[in-house]
Amino acid sequence: MSNVARQEDPASVERIEHDEFDPVGTLALIAFYFAVLVLLWLFTYFVEFLGNVPTPVVVA
Amino acid sequence: MRIHQYERVWLLASMVLIVGFIATITYGAVGLGITMVDDRGATIAPDEINEDERFGDPRVEQVGDDEYEVYAVAMTFAFQPDPIEIPADSEVTFYVTSRDVIHSFYVVGTNTNTMVIPGEISVVTVEFDEPGEYGLICTEYCGAAHHEMEGQLAVLEDEEFDLTELEVEAPDEVEPDGEIEITATVTNGQLEAIEETVTVELGDETLEESVTVEGDESESVTLTVDAADLGEGDHDWTASAGDLTESGTVSVVEGSEDDTEGGDDA
Repeated sequence: MSNVARQEDPASVERIEHDEFDPVGTLALIAFYFAVLVLLWLFTYFVEFLGNVPTPVVVA
Repeated sequence: MRIHQYERVWLLASMVLIVGFIATITYGAVGLGITMVDDRGATIAPDEINEDERFGDPRVEQVGDDEYEVYAVAMTFAFQPDPIEIPADSEVTFYVTSRDVIHSFYVVGTNTNTMVIPGEISVVTVEFDEPGEYGLICTEYCGAAHHEMEGQLAVLEDEEFDLTELEVEAPDEVEPDGEIEITATVTNGQLEAIEETVTVELGDETLEESVTVEGDESESVTLTVDAADLGEGDHDWTASAGDLTESGTVSVVEGSEDDTEGGDDA
């Protein structure tokens, strides 16, 4: 609704360049998701998988 | 094409993540030598398991210094042998096959887990560093009592582990003028020679002998007692070697049909 209201009032419309768009909040959220993903991977592989010895190994 | 700088960061991070995934898996396979169960274990006809040299008698066998092989069979709804006893700090290779349907061989709480498919032999090589008791369960739905299919895997201290067996041959009945012969045979399933003190007791007679049993060999000790010395009646005997003990009873009776040897049922 507010969008519609803004379009009706040219004075409140601000035009910016492509690179000036700066959604820091979205970036922070995605960075947080990314960190969670990396931690989960480290936990799954190095703690849950490698930690539950013995793991079948290749024997020469 | 114009790509926003945040978009660039995100694309790059995604690439790093994928490369990271592949790098850790490669490290596990190449650096640590972790392997997946494959088809190197050849095939076996499920209805010929009983005639097979390995699976006809499911067991643990020593094949080298600190190297053991376990031949195990899964079936509805049990594992053979049960319990499986193996030594710690040794390389143990499990050969597992199924008699009937698809099972699995999962050492609970570890990464040792394989499907067991009828006709296929699954081969898994592991080394347990610490002694302990592990459960063994089937994780493939195999029938109505699937939830009850379990076994035991006992990892024993190296010093506690042996493949020594004691077998005793004794008569059930002897004539009063006959002789009672009790033969204790110690079999060493391991490769290194063992020293065992074999004790055979009958009435007041005790025979104690130290025997050295070479690897994969057996040694016998025989105690001979005159039935007349014991008198008529039932007499208990005990034979022991290490922590193994066998016992039984021999009867001295007039007119017994069973003459000495064999311990066969009269």
